[in-house]
Amino acid sequence: MKSLQRVQPPVFPAEKVVIPEAKSFSLNNGVPVYMIEAGTEDIMRVEFTFRAGQVKEYLPLLSSTTNMMLTEGSENYSSEELNRILDFYGVFLNSSAEKDSAGIVLFFLSKHIDKVLELSREILFRPVFPESEINALMKKRLRWYLVNREKVQNLAVDQFFESVFGKHHPYGHQVTEPDFERMKPDLLSDFHSKYYTPDNMAVIVSGRLHEKTIELLNYYFGDQKTKKIYIEDSGNILKGEKRKKVFINKPGTVQSAIRIGSTTINKRHKDYPGLKILDSIIGGYFGSRLMKNIREEKGYTYGISSSVSSLDLTGYKIISTEVSQKNCQKTIDEIYKEIRLIQNKPVSNEEMTLVQNYMSGEMVRMFDGPFALAESFRSAWEFGLDNEYYYRLAEKIKTINPDEITELANTYYNLDELYEVTVGSK
Amino acid sequence: MIKYNRFSLENGLRVLVHEDKSTPLVAMNILYDVGSRDEDPQSTGLAHLFEHLMFGGSVNIPEYDMPLQMVGGENNAFTNNDITNYYLTIPSENIETGFWLESDRMLELDFSQKNLDTQKNVVIEEFNQRYLNQPYGDAILKLRPLAYKVHPYRWPTIGMDITHIENANIEQITKFFFSHYAPNNAIISLTGNIGYDLAFKLTQKWFGPIEKRQVKRRNLPVEPEQKEERILTIEKDVPSTALYKVWHIGPRNSADFYTLDLITDLLAGGESGRLYTKLVREKKLFSEINAYITSDIDPGLIIVNGKLMQGIDVLFAEEAVNEVIAGLTGKNGIKDEMEKVKNKFESSTVFSNTSILNKAVNLSFYELLGNPELINREVDTYRKVTQEMVIEATRRYFIPSNCSTIYYKSTRKE
Repeated sequence: MKSLQRVQPPVFPAEKVVIPEAKSFSLNNGVPVYMIEAGTEDIMRVEFTFRAGQVKEYLPLLSSTTNMMLTEGSENYSSEELNRILDFYGVFLNSSAEKDSAGIVLFFLSKHIDKVLELSREILFRPVFPESEINALMKKRLRWYLVNREKVQNLAVDQFFESVFGKHHPYGHQVTEPDFERMKPDLLSDFHSKYYTPDNMAVIVSGRLHEKTIELLNYYFGDQKTKKIYIEDSGNILKGEKRKKVFINKPGTVQSAIRIGSTTINKRHKDYPGLKILDSIIGGYFGSRLMKNIREEKGYTYGISSSVSSLDLTGYKIISTEVSQKNCQKTIDEIYKEIRLIQNKPVSNEEMTLVQNYMSGEMVRMFDGPFALAESFRSAWEFGLDNEYYYRLAEKIKTINPDEITELANTYYNLDELYEVTVGSK
Repeated sequence: MIKYNRFSLENGLRVLVHEDKSTPLVAMNILYDVGSRDEDPQSTGLAHLFEHLMFGGSVNIPEYDMPLQMVGGENNAFTNNDITNYYLTIPSENIETGFWLESDRMLELDFSQKNLDTQKNVVIEEFNQRYLNQPYGDAILKLRPLAYKVHPYRWPTIGMDITHIENANIEQITKFFFSHYAPNNAIISLTGNIGYDLAFKLTQKWFGPIEKRQVKRRNLPVEPEQKEERILTIEKDVPSTALYKVWHIGPRNSADFYTLDLITDLLAGGESGRLYTKLVREKKLFSEINAYITSDIDPGLIIVNGKLMQGIDVLFAEEAVNEVIAGLTGKNGIKDEMEKVKNKFESSTVFSNTSILNKAVNLSFYELLGNPELINREVDTYRKVTQEMVIEATRRYFIPSNCSTIYYKSTRKE
């Protein structure tokens, strides 16, 4: 038998990404619904999303507490009943409050859609906010908070948001212990009636859709009304803190957490796809420069990464790692060195091709299956964008060149603008 | 119903293929039948360190990750007590690159001293990040040697002592490779956009020429039956006192496995679990509480752990946990509750199997257990558990002489 030549098999270019379009329609009261038919199993994912995130809160914890209380009992069900019934039907419910939006996502077998939507209406539109339940929740949350504040990575990221967005803006304000005593029934119920309204809501449905999906959504949600409540403009101003470098001393820790970054453009900006590619080269995948340098070359860390994220009012980029105390400063120096390098020296064609090919594969993964499709849809839709954004990203991945990367690095990685947060022991 | 085909090569390599044309991707999983239980007590953590070295270059390929990323692929790996498992996903047109990469590192590794030194540091930082720099992070490190006295499950996958990692040398590592990494000690599964014929052809082409190897025979000491309760008290500057309790159970293939799995779901499956409802919601003794069984191949553990609310006495809280567990043997019918956890198990299995990667990982593992059909049968087996079985197993396993407990006490004044 001829012996095998162990050389790399031919490399085929990624096929063009084809993304199924979401069908959109409105409920009787105007609530927009987006439906993505996909998958091989009779399961569904339904997301109810509201503009009810942290950005709307005037007290820390208000948005997340209102969101968590949704499943703590409604007009017709106690919290135990709600949870027991959801579990009985094998439903997975995730509730979350992010910086801009808040809501719930349910995963279930399509045949249970009727029950799931009935309970969703209870959770979203008929919650009750009993003081005893709120107090119990806040005591629990305080324990979780205290444990989280023992972790250097949490201290670092909280401080990073404060530094970058300002301590008075809801994107940046940090939670402190006394905040846990401020959550009262009338505050939560006020927040709920202002922001959990049909006017402020959208529904994203994906999976093998039950034939009665539209009918049932209309039945349970189509006649919900928005109460006219005057909402005063918060007047919040996004303004980073003056101090660019912050060190937080946490005695007894064996590793330091480092966060370096600043605000930047968000998805609505035409340069955003290019910035995503630049970010991948810096620290966005396993073969990135930071990973190669700090982990694979020097062994200072288990992991280092960078990311670019979009918010409604702005965007931000952040480099994150945990390293041994003794290598902390060296790591920071290397991070700046890498940024200067990419600003001054064009990436090689080989590295350019590598990141282009890697990201083309990522694009395939982003649209693989009903859940990935729904998440990708949502993260464009939230910014008023649609699949055109992803086709533009795919095109940019294909056509970008080293000079463009250099230019983007000089435009969007101004060293003087970067914030540097370190948490460790002196 | 997940359909799959199996075949094996002359060199002993076993392969499972499940075709799913709805995805443009293929997942490739390679399980090596070696874990931290196969380590010498004098040099623990080697299986996991080795997993890191598998990315450091093989005989014909200087670097693993680069060519894979070049074809849009992504990969990762994990090591546990029993297995070392590598996986990748890749657009189907480039799957052959996956075969080329994986077969080359099964053939022979070629990493440098520098690579070894760097990966030792990376693993030490992983140890720091996961276990030393987290509140309660060391609890699991203390729990194992309390529950196991002779079986290698007494040390964690990361290693018993960080000096074992520091002292690892190239000779040790090379020996480890040839005694555990072999076609006859591996299972491959391929799921997604790949048919049987192509899978067979490519496996034959790339893995066929690798010769069978002499795999080190497994001869592990059997953990003697625990005769009396074990208690360890740790005092530390943590925000809350925590409680950890473990009980010995049988191996993964024992008849009781799914009964015990169901028991921990009754106790802590979701927000409506008994422990959460009674001790977090009603009595407000804990801020969080969890219960699960380890899926270890050799006799494993039931683990219950929770963090206490401020001012609650740990012995009082422990008593309350014991009461909830004892409640499982009550005479009252728990038909609805049983039905609830069974439905949840079924739905969670359906959701898990929507991912080609999960299917690939599961198929390899079930094949290792000697029964790939588990991927389709688990739900039925779980559904067949009865209340009598729950009562019997609760009485048998949840007894003080079978239990090890850690009181992780907060020294903080509030």
